[in-house]
Parts: sequence; C-alpha cells; structure tokens
Amino acid sequence: MSYLLEINHLKKYFPIRGGLLNRRVADFRAVDDVSFTLQEGKTLGLVGESGSGKTTIGKCILRLLEPTSGQILYDGQDITHIKARELRRLRSEIQMIYQAPAASLNGRMTVGQIIGEPLWIHEQLRGDAARDRVLELMSVVGLKEEHYYRYPHEFSGGQQQRIGIARALAVQPRLIVLDEPTSALDVSVQAQILNLLQDLQDQFDLTYLFISHDLGVVRYMCDEVALLYLGKIVEVARTEVIFEEPKHPYTQALISAIPEPDPDLQREEIIIRGDLSHTFPQGGCPFAPRCHAEKLESCDSVLPPLLEADQGHLVACHLHPALSASSASEPA
Amino acid sequence: MSMADLLNIEDLHLEFHTYDGVAKVLAGVDLRMQRGDVLGLVGETGCGKSMTALSVPRLIPMPPGKITAGRVTFDGEDILSKSEGEMETFRASHLGMIFQDPVTNLNPLFTIREQLVDSVLYQQARGQKVPGRWKGFMPSVRQLRQEAQERAVELMRLTGIPDGDKRIFEYPHQFSGGMRQRVLIAMALAGDPDLLIADEPTTALDVTIQAQILRLIRSLVKQLGLTVLLITHNLGVVARSCERVAVMYSGRVVEESPVRELFKNPKHPYTRGLINAVPQKDVSRGGLIGIPGMIPNLIDPPAGCRFHPRCEHVMDICRRQVPAATSVGAEHRASCFLYPEDA
Repeated sequence: MSYLLEINHLKKYFPIRGGLLNRRVADFRAVDDVSFTLQEGKTLGLVGESGSGKTTIGKCILRLLEPTSGQILYDGQDITHIKARELRRLRSEIQMIYQAPAASLNGRMTVGQIIGEPLWIHEQLRGDAARDRVLELMSVVGLKEEHYYRYPHEFSGGQQQRIGIARALAVQPRLIVLDEPTSALDVSVQAQILNLLQDLQDQFDLTYLFISHDLGVVRYMCDEVALLYLGKIVEVARTEVIFEEPKHPYTQALISAIPEPDPDLQREEIIIRGDLSHTFPQGGCPFAPRCHAEKLESCDSVLPPLLEADQGHLVACHLHPALSASSASEPA
Repeated sequence: MSMADLLNIEDLHLEFHTYDGVAKVLAGVDLRMQRGDVLGLVGETGCGKSMTALSVPRLIPMPPGKITAGRVTFDGEDILSKSEGEMETFRASHLGMIFQDPVTNLNPLFTIREQLVDSVLYQQARGQKVPGRWKGFMPSVRQLRQEAQERAVELMRLTGIPDGDKRIFEYPHQFSGGMRQRVLIAMALAGDPDLLIADEPTTALDVTIQAQILRLIRSLVKQLGLTVLLITHNLGVVARSCERVAVMYSGRVVEESPVRELFKNPKHPYTRGLINAVPQKDVSRGGLIGIPGMIPNLIDPPAGCRFHPRCEHVMDICRRQVPAATSVGAEHRASCFLYPEDA
C-alpha cells in the first residue's frame, strides 16, 4: 500500500547554547525518532501535551523547519532535502492551518488579498480571474461576498479561521496540516469549523494531519491517532482502538483526563504525577518518572521501542511485548 | 431565604462605554450562592461570566465600566455601596481569586517566598487577622515575617507543592505551569477566604495537569469547606467539579440547575446547543451539531431574548420580550418562553 505521507525516523534537535563562546552544549530533542504513515484521504491525529513536539513535526513536513535527520516521503518522493524551486511547488500541495487565526492573518491585508495571495504566488492569477476564484473559495468556507474588502480584525475568531481555511484551500492542496485549528474557539463555533473541515475533506478528497491536544476533538475527527510524549511516539492505532483499549499508561491517563460533559460517567480517574519534564533518565522510558503502572526494572534503563502489540496497534511500553518476535522491527 | 445566601447578585446591569457606543455587558444577572456551594458559571467568550465574577470583588475598571442597576450582597452586606478602603478589607478577609494564566500573575523578579509571604501578610493586615494587634502589643516585623513564611509553607503543602520549605526560595520560572497555578491557589487561600473565585483556572493547562488542579480544588472544598465560583467555558470541567451550574448567554443567566439535572435534562435551547456541540464519545462523523450564527454584538444586542436569532424554537414573543426565569424542575430554572410561568 502506498502512502501520501511517510515519515521515517524524523529527528529535530534544537541546540542549547551556553558556556564560553556560546557553544552548543546540548540538544533539545523536540522530535526524537518519529515514524508514521498517512494514507490519502485519511486523517491522522497527532496528540500530545504542550512540549511534546507535535507542532515541530508539522513544521518539518512543510519544511518550515529543517529536520536534523530522518526522511519525509510525500507521494513516494523524498522531500527532506529538495531545493527551493521544487519546495515552492510542493507547498501548493501541502498547506497548513494555524492555531491562532488572528496572528496568522496579516492585519494590513483585506480578506480578498489574503486569500488571493497564494493564487498569485502559485498560479500567477490576478485581476478578475483571481477575484472570481477568491469569491468561490469564500462561499465554500461559508464567508459572504461582502466580506471581500474587510480586514481580519473585523471578524470573530471562527470567521477568521474560515479565512485561514480558504487561504489554505486556494492552491488546491492534497495534504493539510491542521495545527490546533479549533483550540482558540468556543465550543459552538468549534463544532461549526470541525464540520466544515469534514465537509471539505469529502468534497476535495483532502488528507489531514490533525495536531491537537484535545482528545475529544481528535476522537471526532481522526481515523488514526498517534500519541506523542517528549518527542517520541508512544502509541499509534485506529481511533476506536485507542479509545476502547488504550495500552500505554500515558494514553490511559490522558483518556481518563478528558473532561466529559457527563456527570454520571463512572470511570477510574488516573491522575499522573508531576509535569512534562525533559530531564528524564537518559536511556530509559521518558514517561517512567510519571508512570502509574507497575514499574519494571527495564523502565529506567532501556528505551522501549515502538512495537506492534496488536494488529495495527503500535505501543512503546515494556509492559506490552510485541505480537511475535518476527514483527519486532520498526514499521516500515 | 436570602439571608442564608453567602452571595446574592440581583438583576445586575453593567455597561461599558466604548468609542463605538455603550456595550451592555451584563443585562440583569441573577445569581445566588450558599455557603459550601460549588457553582460553575459556564458560557462562551463575551457572555459576561468573568464580568459577573469580577463584580463581587469590584475589580471592574470604572470608568469605562458602569453598574447601572442591581445589587450585590455578600453575607448580607451590600458590596456596591462600600468605600474603596472597606473593599480592601472585604477582599482580604472574604475573597480569594485565581486567574487563567499562571504565568502573568506571578512576578518573575521575586521568589515565591517574597510573593507568598507578602500576600499572607497583606491579607492578615487588611483582614485584621494579625494576632496580638488588638491585644495591645505588636509583634516584631521579623517575627511576623517568620510566622508568615511558616504559613506560606503550610499553604504550599496544602496545595500539593512538594518540598515547600525548599521550593519557596525559587523563582516562578523554576515552576511548571501546574505548579505555578498551585502557588496562585496558595496565595488565594492565604486570607482564609469564604469564597474562592476561580476564573478559568485550568484553561491554560494540559489535560493531565488540568485533572490534577481540579482534583486539588475538589479536595480543598472538602477540607476547608470553601465556597467556589468556578468560571469556565468547558462543560466537561463543570461536570467533573461542580454541584450546580449557571449557564450564561450574552449578559444573562439563561439556565441554572444542579449539575446532573442540567446534563440529563437541559431545557434552554442554548444549553442544549452547547452540550451537543461538545464532541462526545458516541458522536460519529458528521454528527456534531454546532449552534448556527455568532454571539450577538453587545452594543446593539437583539431585542427580546438575546438568543432568538440563533434559536431554532424562536417564537414571536421572543423578539419582543425578555423571558423571565421560570421553574422547570427541582431547583432548575430556565429563562425561555418555551416554559411558561404557569406550567
């Protein structure tokens, strides 16, 4: 089976400088050996707490950040090191929608200019032709024609996000990286935007990489979920599987922490200790200091590899040994 | 009845004067809390939930704000007629507040000790809880600070900060977001408040940390018998932490009920819409229902029920008249013409 997006052993380290002459004294491992695949037309959720590296992965895919090592395959082509000219063509196929709609829109441009700019850059479309396309895009995302000459600050958060979506759609992308698209919005508006994203996916056959910290939203939007902890994937599976039988202790804790609007819901509340800390014992499992499950000797000394614990269900935890010895290799 | 209320907000109207006109931020808020209540105040951005809460410590900037009508009484005392000096005493001895962003509410230049000891001393002095002062002798400053520091460490232990006696010498940046929020809760508790106002205390935190903080607040309610007004936009947080809920929409409380009743049997169309808009367990693709439209402009709000332009049950009367709160069940009130007074 071919994938639209394939990430192999992606790493992104940021230098920590200090000492004499401001030398590189250590690395901040924002993304540390992450691999996953995404099929065309599907939605993969990247979930994790702040600092888990989910946005960094998204930016590496668009080559807004240069990965330290690893490989990014888009539609079978290695895009990890392609040149600027090809990169421009690539970016008309991969687009990103950002979290803070107000900050991602230029306040000095009108809505028409914002949505029209990618058309000019990628297709050299201007004048009436561009205007027609922009108006068409605006109607697709539910904006009115009279909004064309308005500025972003005149819109509410939800409307601003619609402008951002229209801008991303302008170049007819195949893959859209959605970086927390609704976390700045109220629930009633969030529901509108999520439904819009689903409609657009069906209409234009889009593939989504959905970055979020909100498991409730992810459960609604995604076909598959990958959970990140400190730059490493700890569990990947189909959405139903993740929510029905989470295997990794971190996933279990996260799911038990979703505030469900149902006061009768009886469930075991797993409260994990402490906070996300980048100073975990080197070599061991990054989650070990906060883990509530029974501790094995290897937890502090051996990094658990991401293995297939069940059909299509990958877990990086010593408590869940691989299905069989033969499948104990990295998913290719 | 109203004598037993700890907090009673009646028909509160608040306006803000802006360049574009007068924004009618609160348009007749009614809210009551008894001692020991844990009340969730829910609503979307701009519905006035923070403004309602800030009217209790009178922290609304005036001008541009102006309270045009209504009463706020706390333990029988009228708050709105107090002088600024009386308010300081009142805040120190009766109220504690925690805010959304634990980063901006701590001064990065001072250690936790300085900030926490300060608030303990301030709240004691203002609340006239300094022991000995009225016995005719004043303890030395050093002794006061020493005692305040012991109290601060005690507060840190109470709010679940490990090694309080050592960590009190650290600076805010050495604390994580969750720990900073605990420090702020400790500060809020310094004056033994009767009412804790928590304004979106977990919104800036990760879910796992949110769960920790909510659990802390619940345990403080049990241990100290606190009364909590929890402001949030997250219905899940309310379901987990509160006993009663008041739902606000555009400057009014539209529905108020015990938590279970509200989620089991929501009456106001807005509350229903809000609950349906949360992606829940059994909602399949395409099944999420948002509320059409946007929150109304506060300068020129819709006449009658402010929800009517977005309401699917809109009737003629909704466009002309403001619905009064009517009883729709045990301790359950809703302000909607779907539920006439006599029913």
